[in-house]
Amino acid sequence: MTNPYEVLGVAPTASSADVQKAYRKLAKKLHPDLNPGDKAAEDKFKEVAGAYDLLGDAEKRKRFDDGEIDATGAERPQHHFYRDFATSDHAQPYTNNSGFADFKDADDALAELLRRSERARANRRGQDLHYRLPIDFVESITGANKRLTLPDGGSLDVTIPPGLVDGQILRLRGRGEPGAGTGGHGDALIEVEVLPDRRFTREGDDISMELAISLPEAVLGGRIRVPTPTGDVTMTVPKGSNTGTTMRLKGKGAPRRGGGHGDQFVKLKVVLPKSPDPELEAFVSNWGKGKTFNPREDSAS
Amino acid sequence: MIMNKQEFLTCAGLQMQTLELWLEQRWLIPDQTSAGMNFSDMDVARARLIRDLKTDFGVNDEGVDVILYLLDQLHGLRRALDQLPKDL
Repeated sequence: MTNPYEVLGVAPTASSADVQKAYRKLAKKLHPDLNPGDKAAEDKFKEVAGAYDLLGDAEKRKRFDDGEIDATGAERPQHHFYRDFATSDHAQPYTNNSGFADFKDADDALAELLRRSERARANRRGQDLHYRLPIDFVESITGANKRLTLPDGGSLDVTIPPGLVDGQILRLRGRGEPGAGTGGHGDALIEVEVLPDRRFTREGDDISMELAISLPEAVLGGRIRVPTPTGDVTMTVPKGSNTGTTMRLKGKGAPRRGGGHGDQFVKLKVVLPKSPDPELEAFVSNWGKGKTFNPREDSAS
Repeated sequence: MIMNKQEFLTCAGLQMQTLELWLEQRWLIPDQTSAGMNFSDMDVARARLIRDLKTDFGVNDEGVDVILYLLDQLHGLRRALDQLPKDL
């Protein structure tokens, strides 16, 4: 072991006050509990503490100066430092998370991880509560205010943002279970289920639907009313529109994230009157060209 | 190792009065059971740290309060950081 005077950086003639001062200066920087991640600091601290054990005690210092004991004569007994426990799971009553409380409010992955690892601790945030909320397709496009009735009789007001997709999870901050200590409430996580609609289907930001038109509308064209999730609109069907013809209603789809809307696609379907109509039969049997037109030309073998 | 109050005083080299004061300051938070307080090795180590701060470093009570508060925050952060790769 090196000379304790050198370790503390004092002269052999230094007063006991100077020795203490030198020790404090070094120990403050090197104390393992103030350097939780620095292994080298621990060895250095032990050396410094050992030197101070010797020189800080007037009697031991005299014996050392007289050569009665060597520098190792005052080796401190091995002890565990607090830092060895502080990050273990047992340190719960002491752990304090206010050091990153401001990170946790964000919606990113780091914040979620901080929240998750925090649940295991004493001052933990309350559990998040999970709910499912079914809504109509139209509500998912236009947005809505819904009230969710909870199993305990309470209720939650949920604002459905326009353009929500099936399975999307809404977070209501602070509406979960109460936490322990200063942990605060957890969040209510609401998974929204968009119920299928018999008219509309959604693909990305676009909405598709099938619209029945009559034979005259298909042949002669015309203006027809088309339902959209945000209300009916008028659309012009061009002359000679066939089953399968798809029209686009620009901007009538779901709201886009960055602003704007998708489109609504309307697939036309020509529908004949339900009951056989003698007038139509007479007309078609007199329609010469209709007999020569073969719609199965391509698929004929 | 779990110890009772008396064993803890011996192990940590503390006076009863000092311990009462530290408990009151919430520098030490032992487990409370129906049989009284349960101290762990961690509490002993924490008591040693407080003793080091007070006697060796000449930190006064207000200083100890601040240091423990910041240290607890530091360890909270270290735990969270340590947990991070496991959660990823």
